[in-house]
Amino acid sequence: MEDQNYILFESYLSKELPQDEIIAFESRLKNESDFNQAFNTYKELASFLEHKFENEAASTAFQNNLKTISKTHFEKQKPAKKVGHFKLWKYAVAASIALLIGIFTFNDSPNPTFSDYNNYEAISLTVRGGQDELLKAAEDAFNNKNFITAEIIFGQLLAKDNSNKELQLYRGIALLEIDKFDEADSLFSRLSNTQSVYKSKAIWYSALSKLKQKDFAACLEILKTIPKYAEDYKEAQNLINKLE
Amino acid sequence: MSEKKLHEDQKYIDGLLKNNSFIIQAIYDKFVPKVINYIKQNSGDGDKAQDVIQDTLITIYNQASENKLQLTCPFDAYFFILCKRKWLNELKKNSNKEVTINEEVLSKDDEAQELAFETAVFGEKQVLFTEMFQKLGTACKDLLTATFKIKSMEEVAKSLGVTYAYARKKKSLCIGKLTELVQKSPKFNQLNN
Repeated sequence: MEDQNYILFESYLSKELPQDEIIAFESRLKNESDFNQAFNTYKELASFLEHKFENEAASTAFQNNLKTISKTHFEKQKPAKKVGHFKLWKYAVAASIALLIGIFTFNDSPNPTFSDYNNYEAISLTVRGGQDELLKAAEDAFNNKNFITAEIIFGQLLAKDNSNKELQLYRGIALLEIDKFDEADSLFSRLSNTQSVYKSKAIWYSALSKLKQKDFAACLEILKTIPKYAEDYKEAQNLINKLE
Repeated sequence: MSEKKLHEDQKYIDGLLKNNSFIIQAIYDKFVPKVINYIKQNSGDGDKAQDVIQDTLITIYNQASENKLQLTCPFDAYFFILCKRKWLNELKKNSNKEVTINEEVLSKDDEAQELAFETAVFGEKQVLFTEMFQKLGTACKDLLTATFKIKSMEEVAKSLGVTYAYARKKKSLCIGKLTELVQKSPKFNQLNN
């Protein structure tokens, strides 16, 4: 097929041909089978490419979610390992060990951990219109705790609009969940230096980041800067008590 | 096709498209066990079944999002035929033997058979297109990626440092090149016949 024909296909598909040329084009489609076949393949490929790149993020989010559900389903299917003849004395040993661990842990009064605090409420981003599909994918990934995917999509969204503080905060949380502490910390610290509704949330999460990194001194220091009016003030005071 | 009545099981297609975890979970609970049994009874195992099912659901998702898949039969039959077909192809690929699809299932639900066939062809075309796209030169790959990601041809031209007219012309020639690669492949002719 000549190059000229492909240029013609593109103009026809993007509706840029003048009326008389459209008529000529459509008559060629009817009468020249090679032309018709090439056009149909071209059209199919253009649609394939458009879909492939436009829906990349949503499609990745779907595939990740699917893999998680599939994995859980198939793990349930596998027969549990046989217990075999587990003699009574083994139970006794197990029980004593459990008791010892219990005593030690009790005496040690363990430090609070990040996992005591990372129960997020479901986020909802899709009311704003515009980049709906990507926002929905981000929302779903985050709510399903697919933080790797969520972080990627938040990154893509922020590449388009870097000023969105809400997305910055969620991206920070996703980064924190996947242990990318440096990036998370710098995002939270930037956010906590701005005058926005997310300011105190950002301070709270930068404290939680230190908690997850087991830097309890830094965590305490940050917690003490959370203002009284902040939503997480009570929770912060609680955590201070446990750490001190 | 458009005159046929949409089946109530369209909810499964819509749920997949929306990445709705409850729907995906429901598909695994309701329809997947039958597929696992079938694969296990036909020289497969749990791991193989897991892959076949996952790939099938991804194909359905892709077709639904690109072509607006309209389900006119029960999801159960459609999904089972698709998985079965995929598994038989898999066996065929590994054993170099001719494997035919069970006639009994063929005649059981023609509507499901027809729809599953369309989806299967769609899926195989996707694989072929992706493979051919990789064969394009770097310049074409970059230009097409930018074109479909950025959408505005003016911006594409700017980001690649070329004129608008050149970028547009190049786009059609690159898809043209891809068209030729695809049309030349024996697989494509098989799928289109």
